[in-house]
Amino acid sequence: MTLPRVLFVTGKGGTGKSTVAAALAIALSHRRPTTLADLDRRLSAAAALGAIPEVSTAVKITGSLDVITLTPRAELEAFIERIVPIRAISRRMLRSRTFGYVTAALPGLEAFLLLERLRIMAGDAALEDRYLVIDAPASGSAVELLSVSSGMKGIAPAGTLNRLADSVHRFLADATRFGAIVTLTPEDLAVREALETAVTMRERLGIVTVAAIMNCVPDLLFDASELAALGPFGGHARLAVRRNAAHEQAALVAPRFAAAGIPTFSLPMMFTPAMGPGEVEKLGRVLDAELLDR
Amino acid sequence: MKPKAVPLKPSARLKQPTHPDSFDLRSPSLVICLGAGGVGKTTISAALAVRAAIIGRAVDVMTVDPAPRLLDALGLGADSSEPVEVQLEGIRHARRGGGSGRARLRALRLDPKRTFDSIVARYALSDAARDAILENRIYRNLSGALAGVADYMAMEKLLELAANPLTDLLVLDTPPAAEAIDFLDAPRRLLELLNSRAISLLGAPGGLFRSRLRMVDIAARAVLAAFDRVTGLNLLSDVQSFVRSFDGMYEGFSARAARAQDKLRAPDTAIVIVTTAESSRIAQAREFIGALERAGLRVAAMVVNRVIAELPDAAELSTARIAPSLKRKLKRNLADYAALKTREEVSLSVLRNSLPGGAVLMVAPDLGREPRTIADLAEIGSSLRAG
Repeated sequence: MTLPRVLFVTGKGGTGKSTVAAALAIALSHRRPTTLADLDRRLSAAAALGAIPEVSTAVKITGSLDVITLTPRAELEAFIERIVPIRAISRRMLRSRTFGYVTAALPGLEAFLLLERLRIMAGDAALEDRYLVIDAPASGSAVELLSVSSGMKGIAPAGTLNRLADSVHRFLADATRFGAIVTLTPEDLAVREALETAVTMRERLGIVTVAAIMNCVPDLLFDASELAALGPFGGHARLAVRRNAAHEQAALVAPRFAAAGIPTFSLPMMFTPAMGPGEVEKLGRVLDAELLDR
Repeated sequence: MKPKAVPLKPSARLKQPTHPDSFDLRSPSLVICLGAGGVGKTTISAALAVRAAIIGRAVDVMTVDPAPRLLDALGLGADSSEPVEVQLEGIRHARRGGGSGRARLRALRLDPKRTFDSIVARYALSDAARDAILENRIYRNLSGALAGVADYMAMEKLLELAANPLTDLLVLDTPPAAEAIDFLDAPRRLLELLNSRAISLLGAPGGLFRSRLRMVDIAARAVLAAFDRVTGLNLLSDVQSFVRSFDGMYEGFSARAARAQDKLRAPDTAIVIVTTAESSRIAQAREFIGALERAGLRVAAMVVNRVIAELPDAAELSTARIAPSLKRKLKRNLADYAALKTREEVSLSVLRNSLPGGAVLMVAPDLGREPRTIADLAEIGSSLRAG
């Protein structure tokens, strides 16, 4: 499967978005150098790999995989320092309460600068032939984040930001440079939100969703006659039904995404007492075989 | 939450936290549910409201961003910004008193933009002042779907609904937050912007007010002007006119915000943190607890949503008369879910150890399906138990 340089991983809260982003980064890093950019303030993707990186500084996990944490605030600071090159003034400005109020009134500014940073990183990734996997915010906030470039054009009718907004917009809509991955679990709400997010991204921003990754899919253990033999009652029967229901629900998902032109990939439910780097590595191997070998 | 269950001194809390064994819905007049996105905060808010109505209280529940099926369950349309009566017939089987004898449930959805517009209209000194605000670019950005404004407006609507003498209990769902304090802190942040004398002075044409500008304001003005030139934003003039158009309205806003803050700290207000048992969510919930404690706000309950329901007994399998192959599969299935249950128990014990004094830990077992009806919400409400 040919993938864009930048893979933007988003999904409903609770679908294991950070785990999927980390597993995907591991899978890709087996083939090419890969950077996992953690936009999640809680650094769960980085934590899934056993790393605690500092903001804006890349940390090496393996020879071909590193993790970086990006925050809107750090991008705003970098931008101010770029346009106001005298450090004493730029620092003073960042510390000023007045400036704080102004940026608070325009929260889109920080988000926009974050997108601009991703655009620059994508350019670097192309030059160095590497992948960039982004652990993005949950779907609602992710769409808001991706939409700020069009909003910025309205707010800044001319000048630096207007020009940047144009190039960010082109970057997001360029399927060779940028693609989204939506995560879901075999639950109706999560499926619906993933589909809606993919459609909204395409219709509003021209963003291509390259894959839907369904997390927590239990393997099929019982056939219909076995379930019938258990009868409708009893704790064991309920537990068996629960597992089968999740598996069957998962089977219904792929056609819905296929109708929207999006391939679906499944990750097994990890029935383990803890979710550590070992489990993430295992999921990475599944993605390696299923997604990248296609 | 009964006030008597709360130790008076924070120092006493640190040493030996005491925790009540259940969350009492008979005494609070306001329940605020806080939590990250995707944990089922709206579901838990609605389930608590249904449970309170069942025990006989007159309840209003305000939801923020309900899933379509939950809207159906509550009988809400896309545009229900005023309370709508929810039919409780058929589920009100056990009325055990404790209420005012006028049990009812009403639900509504928060519309942040409309609420903000109506507040502006209420406090504006003239029609011209009102229009100037509604047209302002900063206002239009602020009053849209941005999180901070939804927070502030939920707080506004809260005061309005809490003033209704016919309501015993108001249950408030809140916008998803990265920080618990985002919601509770919203009025202060908005007021700071409106009250930032520095901003309005930045544009003052010299003379009388000039001398009141501090050095740092002059520097800020210079850099902001440079920032505007380079970026093409023209922010400065918009912020100035925005703040100026609020002249004379500040008192009204400020009084409301102070009342909202008092309401949050009232003894009959119960703050509930909703989470799931996933380890990253638990970490976030613990941050919420810390932030609330630093703000001097008391957490009444933590609700861990969608925990794995009680597992069946392994011993049942040895005596069951079923095919050995099926028996083996059932054993494996049980072992699989027991592993997940272990993972969950680890999370719960972490949470138990960081539970603030006076707070109770509750778990809501997974319903196994998406809640679609009032009966589903009632089931979740009645299945809530100490965890």
